Amino acid sequence: MMPLSMSGEGTEVTIHCVNCGFGLKRRLCDLGLYDGTRVKVVKNDVAGPIIIKVKDSKLVLGRGQAQKIMVEKA
Amino acid sequence: MAKQIMMALAGNPNCGKTTLFNNLTGMRQHVGNWPGKTVERKDGKFTYMGKKINVIDLPGTYSLTAYSIEELIARDYIVEENPDVVINIVDATNLERNLYLTIQLIELGANIIVAINMNRFAEKKELKIDDKKLSNLLGVPVIKIEAVDRIGKTELIESVLKAAKSRSKGTKKITYGSEIEEHLAELEKILPESINTNKGFSTKWIALKLIEKDKEVIKKILGLKNGKEVLMKAERIQEHLSQIFGEDVDAAIADARYGFIAGLIKESMTRPKIDKITMSDYIDRIVTNRFLGIPVFLFALWLLFQLTFSISAPFMDWIGFFFGWLAEVVSNLIATEWLSSLLADGIIGGVGSVLVFVPVIFMLFLSIALLEDCGYLARAAFIMDRLMHKIGLHGKSFIPMLLGFGCNVPAIMATRTLESRKDRILTMLINPFMSCGARLPVYALFAAAFFSEHQGWVIFSLYLLGIMVAIIMGLIFKKTLFKGLSSPFVMELPPYRLPTLKGALIHMWERGSVFLKKAGTLIFLVVIVIWFLSSLPFGVEYASQNSVIGRIGTFIAPIFKPLGFGTWQASVALGFGFAAKEVIVGSFGTLYGVSEEGLGKALAQTFTPLSAYAFMVFVLLYVPCMAVIAVIKRETNSWKWPIFTVIYTTVIAWSMAFIVYQGGLLLGFT
Repeated sequence: MMPLSMSGEGTEVTIHCVNCGFGLKRRLCDLGLYDGTRVKVVKNDVAGPIIIKVKDSKLVLGRGQAQKIMVEKA
Repeated sequence: MAKQIMMALAGNPNCGKTTLFNNLTGMRQHVGNWPGKTVERKDGKFTYMGKKINVIDLPGTYSLTAYSIEELIARDYIVEENPDVVINIVDATNLERNLYLTIQLIELGANIIVAINMNRFAEKKELKIDDKKLSNLLGVPVIKIEAVDRIGKTELIESVLKAAKSRSKGTKKITYGSEIEEHLAELEKILPESINTNKGFSTKWIALKLIEKDKEVIKKILGLKNGKEVLMKAERIQEHLSQIFGEDVDAAIADARYGFIAGLIKESMTRPKIDKITMSDYIDRIVTNRFLGIPVFLFALWLLFQLTFSISAPFMDWIGFFFGWLAEVVSNLIATEWLSSLLADGIIGGVGSVLVFVPVIFMLFLSIALLEDCGYLARAAFIMDRLMHKIGLHGKSFIPMLLGFGCNVPAIMATRTLESRKDRILTMLINPFMSCGARLPVYALFAAAFFSEHQGWVIFSLYLLGIMVAIIMGLIFKKTLFKGLSSPFVMELPPYRLPTLKGALIHMWERGSVFLKKAGTLIFLVVIVIWFLSSLPFGVEYASQNSVIGRIGTFIAPIFKPLGFGTWQASVALGFGFAAKEVIVGSFGTLYGVSEEGLGKALAQTFTPLSAYAFMVFVLLYVPCMAVIAVIKRETNSWKWPIFTVIYTTVIAWSMAFIVYQGGLLLGFT
């Protein structure tokens, strides 16, 4: 298990849990990010936000947010 | 049926909702605010076969929780106003996520029609959607449309008329597992009767919201007869459920919804085995590349400004020429000297000097709208996030900043897209340093008069200085007024799409008309006041040092002495600049009593190149115009921030101009 922010570009992962406040958690949920979702990391540079593909959409997540999402290799 | 039909459009952001709205209503639309909120409300209407249909464009949302104002507004509108029909626009290329809202709309009990948009893109991705099957499964009409053209339009309107007569119930099959369902039924039974109004909203939805701890619904229940009892019961159920599901009842509910959707998708959509790499993916590889991203972004900006200025230049000339001609005709026609002076010098000259900027501002907004509609601005926000992060903001704040180069008023209104209040206020505070279109003529005048060989560079340096000051102030505010964590940055990157001219034009008009309104009202008044102040007391020479205005200027002038422009004319012009910065040019014309062509020479007698540069720096940074102050007041709903803005910007402007002038003198410039 590792944070989403550490997942390399091009890897596919499954969300294990989201460790953040109620509000953000719900927002992520509305965008299709919740426990068990499969996510593809499209872009992850060393710093700055990351881009992921979830269901059929591309999302940008701030690095801080990506650190709070724990994932497992799919 | 003589009654007008009320129809609401609901859908995710970027699903083509506004495109459909524009397509249905054309230009017959009204943009305002939701009462008491700073969220845009768009109303429009059209007639079909003699039936009047009113359309309201609800804010784009992903969900119907009470998480953001937009969601609350969309939800409240559907619950309270009970529109006859709600069209739910869904993006065919992103069906699964879009249906999440659809499910919630059905649960809410709204009379919905699902309009599947962007089918062409879905076909390209080899996604095949069976609309009939989907309609059967959801229990509501499903129609394929193309919001950009007329495909499916008639069919959609026909089904709206049909649905307005008979409500479709929608599926009852969304289940949350026996555990949750049991408790939902339990809660439903004890809900006060008064909650189940004649509107026909489902009690299950209310029960569900209670379990989700929805603040707004709880508030409403509390106001009812046995509300307390219901809430106590709900709390007990929550506790019980969180023992079963861990702390996450929410996740269990979301999971059930997505589970239901996955079932729908399986039955009604076929997709290729391997996802096709789309054009969007290829473009993104270049545009968001770590090394190429910034050069591409800078090139896009350069193109934006180039296009804006080169296309608008001839129009500006024509408008300037027209007002010059008009002033001459009027002053020749009217014999009464004071009246002809008021009309020609005051009103036509003053308003004309503002309207000259309409082309450049509209062109800039048009270019930005095109960039936005094609999807690039979201990428720019991604690229800029790293920089914006340093000043405690995130990438989304970048868009209002960019709009600031056109006019700060719509730019400040654009901060509405930021979720956190802290982000909004910080973005508003530093936005005025983005040099707006109205400041350009001042630079153009001075640069031409004093820096004829390096005009472009001088003007460029001022834009850059504005950006630097904004960054530095952002850093300072982050360390002082707005301490704490930055708000989360979560944003969707929409696929690239060819923007439509109509859509971009409407966008441009919405933002640009704010500037026009300002020219029509505020500036109109100010130029009249200026004229009177310059003409009083009676018999004084127009705008001479002995006029009221000249005396005021003479009194203030010493403050600007250390900055190199301690003349009474400069003080008066800056004072007028508070009305609107572009007025400064016109005021100099009036105060020196020369036409615009002779202005350069007149200025050369009182300014040196160094003091001219210091003056431009002051104009760049000091108090944003009245309209900006008014809009900050409106958007923050308090006087605190607008007053703060007036004071702090002036202090900064004075200090920076002081550094430039005195520093320049020390370095031996003149």
